[in-house]
Order: sequence, then structure tokens, then C-alpha cells
Amino acid sequence: MTAPMSQCLMQMVQTDYALSDYQSEIAPRWCAGCGDNAILTAMQRLCRDEQLPPEKTVCVSGIGCSSRLPHYMNAYGFHGVHGRALPIAEGVKIRRPDLHVFVTTGDGDCCSIGAAHWLHAIRYNMNMTVLLHDNQIYGLTKKQTSPTSPHGLKSNTTPHGAVLNPLNPLTVTLGVANVSFVAQAVDWIPDLLYETLSKAYHHKGLSFIRILQRCPEFMDHRFDDWVRDPSKMRILTHADGLRLKPEVSRIYKNQETHDPRDMGRALAISSLNDEIPVGILYRDPSVPCYDELRAGERPNTPALVQTVLNEEFDKVGIWPDPATAPEIRE
Amino acid sequence: MQHAKIADGLPSQPEREPSVAALRPALFAGYGALDDLRYDYPLVLIDGGSGENMFRPLSRIIDDILQETAAPDSSGEALRQQVLRLEAKIRRRVMQSGPCQLTDLWRDCAAEFIAQTGEAPFGPLDVNLDKARQSLYVDGLVIDCDDKTPGQVLVHTWKAMHQAKARVFRKKVDGLTLRLTDILKSDHMKSDEAHGAEALASSMGSSGDGSVDFHALSAVLARARPEDRLPQDRVERIQNVLRVLQSQLFYGPGRASKSGPKQPKPYSYTFESCASALDANRDRLRDVLDFTKALTVAELEVENKYRPELHDPIFERFDESDLTADQIGLLPSALVCLRDGETDATEIARAFEALACGLQITVLIQTDDILGATSPEPPRNSFGAGTTRIAAMAMGLNNGFVLQSSSAHLYRMRDNLVRGMQYDGPTLISIYSGATVTAPGVPAYILSAAATESRIFPAFTYDPSAGPDWAHRFDLSNNPQNTVDWPEHELEFEDVKGQRQSEKIAFTFADFAISDVRYGRFCHSLAQADWTPGMEPAADWLKLPPETNSNQKPYVFGIDSENRLRRTVVDDKIIEAARRCNDAWCRLQELAGINNSHALRLLAQDRLEREVAARAAENTQSTLSGPPSVAAQLAKVAEDAAPPVVTDVATDEQTEDTPWIETARCTTCNECTQINSELFAYDENMQAYVVNPDGGTYRQIVEAAESCQVSIIHPGQPRNPQEPNLVDLIERAKSFH
Ligand SMILES: Cc1ncc(C[n+]2csc(CCOP(=O)(O)OP(=O)(O)O)c2C)c(N)n1
Ligand code: SF4
Ligand code: SF4
Ligand SMILES: [Mg+2]
Repeated sequence: MTAPMSQCLMQMVQTDYALSDYQSEIAPRWCAGCGDNAILTAMQRLCRDEQLPPEKTVCVSGIGCSSRLPHYMNAYGFHGVHGRALPIAEGVKIRRPDLHVFVTTGDGDCCSIGAAHWLHAIRYNMNMTVLLHDNQIYGLTKKQTSPTSPHGLKSNTTPHGAVLNPLNPLTVTLGVANVSFVAQAVDWIPDLLYETLSKAYHHKGLSFIRILQRCPEFMDHRFDDWVRDPSKMRILTHADGLRLKPEVSRIYKNQETHDPRDMGRALAISSLNDEIPVGILYRDPSVPCYDELRAGERPNTPALVQTVLNEEFDKVGIWPDPATAPEIRE
Repeated sequence: MQHAKIADGLPSQPEREPSVAALRPALFAGYGALDDLRYDYPLVLIDGGSGENMFRPLSRIIDDILQETAAPDSSGEALRQQVLRLEAKIRRRVMQSGPCQLTDLWRDCAAEFIAQTGEAPFGPLDVNLDKARQSLYVDGLVIDCDDKTPGQVLVHTWKAMHQAKARVFRKKVDGLTLRLTDILKSDHMKSDEAHGAEALASSMGSSGDGSVDFHALSAVLARARPEDRLPQDRVERIQNVLRVLQSQLFYGPGRASKSGPKQPKPYSYTFESCASALDANRDRLRDVLDFTKALTVAELEVENKYRPELHDPIFERFDESDLTADQIGLLPSALVCLRDGETDATEIARAFEALACGLQITVLIQTDDILGATSPEPPRNSFGAGTTRIAAMAMGLNNGFVLQSSSAHLYRMRDNLVRGMQYDGPTLISIYSGATVTAPGVPAYILSAAATESRIFPAFTYDPSAGPDWAHRFDLSNNPQNTVDWPEHELEFEDVKGQRQSEKIAFTFADFAISDVRYGRFCHSLAQADWTPGMEPAADWLKLPPETNSNQKPYVFGIDSENRLRRTVVDDKIIEAARRCNDAWCRLQELAGINNSHALRLLAQDRLEREVAARAAENTQSTLSGPPSVAAQLAKVAEDAAPPVVTDVATDEQTEDTPWIETARCTTCNECTQINSELFAYDENMQAYVVNPDGGTYRQIVEAAESCQVSIIHPGQPRNPQEPNLVDLIERAKSFH
């Protein structure tokens, strides 16, 4: 059958968004050399390549340097409350399933104060893309130890060195019920960051990407060993995961073919210490999405809401004259 | 009991002998007392049913319950027997007192059953029946097979489909309404009115204690208010669309009815006649167009894709011819129930008109008498062929869905029936009820089953949406033994000597015809003592070419009221009608690709071609499987000798002397662009490149290389030999070459 008329009419309206259409008037205020810039660029490239209308795109964040990203995107944005990016994004998605929802959050925002929301968001598996900017530090508040900070890190809150081992956001996410997409990227390989983000965007369900992000201000040289030595990066490739361009493949020779359905291997790779894995760790497109499970038969128009409320009130209402009482429908 | 039932309305037949009046086809012998049999009736028209659960025989529902509640071994036997007896009671109740809701029947019949056994309430029987009742997963009207069945089944199915359509419609229209209202609301929030002290005060509710100065608040908000209001023409367009969507009369408001604004009653889509359906269609056309336009505009508006300059002209000239199938499909489909014999003959012609013009309409033509009168008045029926050809004729319309079935086959045809009523165009449904008054003593179920069995009223479907050709569209699979002329069955009987005999007999048109009193005149029934070798079964007789001169007499088996087997010799007139019936059946078979003459010829040809091709392939294989061909060897040599492909773009394009960046690896960190934006700039992917190698100093280039954390800036050689400190800079640049 032919396409619906409205679709034909829509196709008459040509859009040609350039990357600059997704840049807001505010120039990024991150420090020079900050990895957040690369993540913003990858987001903007994705929006352009997918031609997402800015008015159909929402970036939701919590609080932190990373959480400033919505300011720099020319799209709808919600700079939320510390740790609460995910519940806000869930609210947006359930009410407006037509919008493309992106969540930007930091290691403090997501894994510390927002940890409870993080776990439940994974379990809800609503259709959105979550970017965890993991610089292993509280950047905005000028260097406090975060749950992902390396053991022994000296910071304002741990002047004698962090005493606990860090939490691994990948294995934690992989361990939550209904997990459907987990990937890792690093800000210093923009090609793979973009590819991973694109795969995440096309996945139906919650796609979680942990992005190792350099903070030259407070964690300078933290990732130098890996930035300088491509052989310490382990690139995960698969027909259902990343496929490398020849020029990337030439530099990053340490590759592993990893099937994103293989949870056991995904956990093992996530736990590597000396090498940083990059690529899709786990993907299961069959996990049900809460937003779809809960999509009502009828949209909640004011008239319907009023009817339902009245019905509920009528159940407990006392009617002096039973003859005038409304019929109660269960 | 079933005798009495149909005989009630029977015109008196004074000229018939009593023994012949009770003659029935021999194969009916096994179906004497229907109330003891478990079959497709009574049928439950399931409330809220859909798809294959649109309706279901009571016997199947009971089976489902037993499967769930009664243990398969002997411990479940008591429960099984009790529930089956309850089922029999319900069946009898429906036969006697007509349709009733299943849960009511269950309750009443269970109570009666318990009372009859004399058991106390909450006794073992009560407990068992209650256990079974808890697994009763559906409710609905329970109907028997009679003259009302086709209408009841169709109306039930239509209503269910209509409700399903209404849900799809409301979901779509409500969703659009909500989003359009949101757009207007968010625009309104930016207005003076929404920011005024009064609006602010009222949004706080009536219990304000005066502690908030709303004028001051309003003044503060005014400063922070966004300026970008919607263009006025867009607001008006959205308001108009909302008005049309909210006042549509195609479907009722559903659950939101109580609070919605009072609306006139929605249109009715069930009609008494095709003429009124056609009239209503014409009268409502304006509304259909307005609504469809509004819906399409709404879809564009919520996507922010309405462009007046592009779309206004299209909507201005939008008319009936622009309506697409999915737009029409969203709106209700009409139902017209006609009854052959009762409905005026011209109405049947109107039905064809309605079907031909592609309306979304389902027309039921119910037939109660398929054989028709023996001396029909022109131009109506012909001998023995009543109105059986209506459906076959309708297939000629090509764009319509056609389904023919007897009442007895309706359950087996339910998937097709549902598909037909979902079909995006006209649908003709022709059903034989079996409630023929001239076949006394034969229950409607048996007679209608016999009509299909005897090929007088075959079950078939023609679905134009199922594929491009007849093979996909036409389905004859629901007929018994559909590859042969007449279905055959084993008949067991006692001969005159009391010996058990068994004979394979075909069930033909003639077998069906003898059950009709009007056709008794053309039959001569003989008891076993009078049988002679000069008789031949009608089915065998029919196999002979029509012009054959035979002295044999064609007969079919009948039974009298005492279940005694008789041969009934049938007249030429019946044999001729049987031939016509068989001819029509063979035509349907050909359409279904059964014994299709064209297909058989093509198949033979195809097989021949494949054999030829296979032989040819064998020959080429044997030439290939020798040593590798010269061409293959040459290719291998060329491959080995080819120089390695130069893939290093950098060495290819850049000279060592000019500064350059491995742009694809750039992380957009702003370091270099902040050092000098004349020298370094971002490309369309926001990745840095050297925009002008002379845009800055060599020092800046080297410093940028040093601060680039991913070390992708290559400084090259200094461009200006006059620049100070070059020796030092060249030394520092070395590590970035
Ligand atoms: C409820 C609350 N508690 C504490 C803070 C202070 N605070 C602001 S940002 C931040 C940590 C941010 O760290 P992270 O999420 O890793 O973001 P980054 O700045 O590193 O990108 C904290 C603790 C706050 N804003 N709100
Ligand atoms: S403090 Fe760190 S994370 Fe924050 S902007 Fe600066 S470099 Fe980036
Ligand atoms: S310094 Fe390097 S990574 Fe940063 S913008 Fe320039 S080229 Fe790109
Ligand atoms: Mg951080």
C-alpha cells in the first residue's frame, strides 16, 4: 500500500539540519582539553546525521560539569536536580513517547547521589540513550572523590588517598534485571564514540554508555597511558556491534570479536584492569520497555481524566437518594 | 423434538404419503437426536471477543474448562461427567428457550441439576460445578443454530470489529487532540493573560490567604517571559482542527462520555437496506472529507511540518478522490443484513451496486431455501438452484471480499469471516441458515451442513487482499474432501436378513434434494425388498456423460421415520440439477487450483523444463570440475603480483613540511582553536584541521601540538625563516612528526 497521506505531505517539507543547528548560542564553558567537548560533538553529529528535529529532541541532565551539556545543545533541555536526571527523563518519555530522549550524567550524579534512580532506570528499560561522563571525580565542585575514583586518589575529600576500591559502572549495570544495552567509549577516540552512540540511539530500550572522560583540570594525565598507547585499548568488534573503519583499525590493533549477547564475556571484559575495552558489551533487543508496556489504550485527554476521577469519587460518594446515584462501572 | 420445531411453520402437504414425508438422507441416521451430541452449536458469541475468540462452540469452552480443572486420570472422571451433563442441560435449555447469556445459563442449569440429584447446596456436585465455573473464562450470548443464526453471528462480529475500530480511532484522535491542545496551552502560557495577576491568583486556588502579591509576581514573570509566540494563523489552524476532531460523529466518545461536552448521537452504521446505506454514505461525505482533512493537518501540525505555502493548496482542492485506503479504513464500516426471499429482489441488485462502488460495507445475504421451488416463476429461481450463485457472481466484482458458508460451517470459517469484516472495502457474506421450512424434521444445523457436504452450498472465501492472484485469494479448503466431486462416507446398515453391511456412498445433490418435500414428486422410494440390480447409485450415474443411453435407474439412499434404509430413485430433473451443481463445484475447484486444467498443463510443462535445465547443468558441471581454468589461474597471478595498496592517507596527501592534523581523531577539546583560530578551525563534524598554515606562528603550531592531548597535530617545518627561536622550536616539534 502507498504511504499514508500525511507522510507524503511531510516529505514535501525538506529539512537539512547542519551540525551548527544543534549548537546553542552559548559557547561551551568547559575547560580547554575537557573530554566533555568530544561527547557534545558526537551528540551533535548524531543529531545531524539522523536529522532529528531540534524540537523533537530532549537532553536531560543532573548537576555537574557534564550536566551542563543541555545548555550547549540547541534542543529541548532540562538541567535537573543533582542525581535526578533519569526520573525526569522517564517522565518526559512516558508523556511524550515521540521525543528522542538523551540523558547526560556524571559519575557523581549517576553513581553516587543518583544511584537508586540509575538501577531502576536500567530495570525500567525505557527507550532513551544515557551517557555517563565518567571522569572519576566531582569536577564542578572542584575535586572530590567520586564512587569511580581510583583507589588512593588524593582529593579534597580524601587528602590521604581514597581508601575504597572504585565501583565499576559497567558490571553494576550489567547486573541489573532487564538490562538491554551496555557499551563503553572513551572521549579520545571520537570515531568509536560516535559509532557507539549511534548504535545506542538505534537500540530500542535504555542504552547505557559509560564514557571515560578526561578532566585535565583535576585528573590530569589520568588516562595518558591509554591515550598514548593504542595497544592498551581493547576494541570490541562484531557484526552486531562496532565495525571498524580501516584507518581506525590500523591504529587500534588490539581487537576482540565479542558477541554482545554473551553476558559472561561482557562481565569479564568489563572487569579488565590494565586494558580499556571500547565497544558494545551487551545488547538484548528483546527486553520489554516499561514505556511500551504502560502505554495506555487511550491517551489521557482531560475529558478521560475527568471521567476516571469522577468514577473513582463516585465509588466512595454517598448519595442521599439512591435513585440519582450514578451507575458504578468497575 | 427437532421434528416439531421446524414442522411448526410448515405449510400443510396433503398430497404426500406419510412414509415418504419422513424420508431423510441415509447419512443423517447418525444425527437423530442433536441434543445428545457435542458439536459446533450452541455457539457462544463472546463478549469483547476478537480474532479467533470472536465466538466459540459451547463444547469447546467446556473442553477448555475440563482441561484446566479435571485431572486427566480417573480422579477427574466424576468432575468431567458432571460438567458434561451440565453442558447437555445448557444445550437443551438453549434449544428450548432460545438465546441466553452463558453465565446465567450456567447458574440456572447448575441449580436445576443439583436440585434434581437431591444433593444439598455445597455438596460434592455443587463444589465440583463451582470449581469448573471458576475456570469459565468468557461470557456471551449462547445461540442455537436456527434461522436467526447468520444475523446474530454477523451483528456480533460487526459490533466487536466496530468497537475495535473505535479504540484505534480514539487512540489516534485523542492522541492528536492532546498534543494539539498542549501546543496551544504552551503558547497560551506565554501570553499576557496567562501572566496576569488574575490568572496567577486563580491558579493558586480559592483558598489564597492574601499573602502573595500577584501583581508583583506577574511583573516579575513578565520579565522572564519568552517572546516566541506561535504565528496567529497557526493558532487558528490548530483551533479549527481541534473543533473538527472533537465534534466528529463517526464514533461515540467511549469511556470519556460522561465528562465530555454534550454531543449529538454518533452516526449509525447498521442499515436495513443497501439503498439507505448508499444514501447515508452520500449524506456523510462532507463530514468525512472535513474530518479527514483535519486529521491530516493535525498529523502535520504535531510534527511541526505544516507549511501553508505547500499544503494550503492541497487541502483546498481535497475531495473524495483523494481519500486513501487508510483514511477510509479508520472510519466505521457499514453493515446491511438482507434475507433472500424476504428482502425485495431489487435490493439484492442494489447490494451489487453497493459492493461495486467500493464502499466500506459488509452485506449479509442470508438464504433459507437454497433449492427453491420446483416450478419457479421467472425470472427468479431455476429448478434446484435457488440463490446459491450469488456469492460466485460477486467474485466477479473483483475488489470485494466474498465469503460463502452454511451456518454449520461458520465456526470453521471464523478466521475468514473476521478477515472479511476487517477488509478495507466491500464484503459480501452469503450464509445458508439451514432453516428451510420444506425440509421437515431436519434440524437447521444438519441441513446446512448437508448443503455444504452435497456441494450445493460450498464454503469458500475470495480475499482480494490476500495476494495478487487466485491462488492466494481463493480458498476452498473448508469443504469436506474438496478434491473429489462428492464426498464419500461409510454407511453401515442391516440388510433384509439382519446382516450387518457396510457400503461406501457419496453424498450428492440428489441426496440433499430428497429431504425437501417439494422434490418428493421427483423421487420414488423403495424398501429393501424392492431393490433390483437395474439400479445404480446416483454418483456413479452422474459420472457418465449426459448423452449416455442407460437403462439403469439412479438412486440415493434414504431412511424413513423408523430408520429403515430405502433406495430412492430420482427423476431426470433432479439428475440434471445435480449435474449443474457438480459443474458449478468443478468451476470453483478450478479457481482454487484443484484439478485445474491450465495448472495441470503448466505443471507438466514446468517439470519438463526443469528436467531439461537439470540435464544442462549436469553437463556444464562436468566441464568445470576439471583443473582450474586458465582465467582463474591468471587472476591468481595478477593478485600475487599487485603492489600493496597505499592506504596511508597522511603520507599520501600531506608533505612532511606543511602542518597538519589527523582530523578524524580530534576530540574537539578546543586547545588548538583557542591558541589561534586563524590557524586551526573546526570542520563540519566539529573536528579540527589546519585552516591556514600561515595564519599564525610556528611557535603557536608547536605549542598546539604540545597541548593536544591526543597528539594529532603535526607541526611540519617553519614557514617563516625569520621567526625567532626557530632552532629550539624545530627541536620541540621533532617528537610530533
Ligand atoms: C543535592 C546536591 N548535593 C550536592 C550538590 C553539589 N554538587 C554539585 S555537582 C556535584 C558532583 C558532580 O560530579 P559529577 O556528577 O561526576 O559531574 P562532573 O562535574 O564531574 O562532570 C556535587 C556533589 C548539589 N548540587 N546538589
Ligand atoms: S573541571 Fe574537569 S570535567 Fe569540569 S570542565 Fe574542567 S576539565 Fe571538564
Ligand atoms: S588540540 Fe587536538 S584534540 Fe584538541 S581540538 Fe585541537 S586537534 Fe583537536
Ligand atoms: Mg565526574
